[in-house]
Amino acid sequence: MDRDTELALVERLREGDAAAFDDVHLAFNSRVFTFLLRLSRRRDVAEDLLEETWLRFVKHGRRLRADTRLGPWLFTVARNLHVSYQRSRALENSATAGLMALWPTGSHRSSPFEETAASELERRIEQALAELPTAGREVLLLVGVAGLAHSDAADVCGLTPEALRQRLHRARQALSRALERDATGEISGMERVTS
Amino acid sequence: MSEPMIDLLRNLPSATPDPARAERTRVRCRTRLSAVAPPVATVPKPLGWKTQLWQPLIAVLGCAYVAEAVVQALRSYGRP
Repeated sequence: MDRDTELALVERLREGDAAAFDDVHLAFNSRVFTFLLRLSRRRDVAEDLLEETWLRFVKHGRRLRADTRLGPWLFTVARNLHVSYQRSRALENSATAGLMALWPTGSHRSSPFEETAASELERRIEQALAELPTAGREVLLLVGVAGLAHSDAADVCGLTPEALRQRLHRARQALSRALERDATGEISGMERVTS
Repeated sequence: MSEPMIDLLRNLPSATPDPARAERTRVRCRTRLSAVAPPVATVPKPLGWKTQLWQPLIAVLGCAYVAEAVVQALRSYGRP
């Protein structure tokens, strides 16, 4: 979406044009959902957060600034909602940790993307992404997957451009290490089978 | 970020939310957006001659009443 189209859409939204909302929804629904799904690793949570993101968007629709950038605005809300969700889940987990420790669980739970990954490489990337800490994962998702500019991604995460650059660098290294570890693990596994 | 890493991430598939729920959300948001009336700039109507006459008259009478009430109160309680 070019900047002129975006500005025209914002202007129409400020006037309460429902058709403009349809255009924004069409342009960003899948992108924001993909971001939330990879961040939360749960389809039901991503669906809930996506709905809340859109509700907040229309709530502020008429009060948007004329120069609003829709992508960063939506990703910021989605990301903040996920942070709130994580905090509430952390509280729940701390309250039920004793009980849950009694329950037998697997060490790694597959994300929806891992389950449907078409290729082996895709599966490995999804798994490596899923294993990254949230802070690193979100910057990789914003810059690498969603295609946001560094400055926009920094705004979304509430970071300075320099802090984002550093976090991105560390996340990329962590992702590379995870991919290498996965590949090495597979090779050593194959060697064990063949020897 | 290195280009191969960007390519790897860019080529990851995107996900699609549940179509039925997405449609429900879209309709709900659409309704909400158009439900709120646009802020209309109101132009004040010119006042009629009767209103123009009555408003200052009521103000003058009100002030006279209050002044007289104060005078009466001082007369009754202000001095021994």
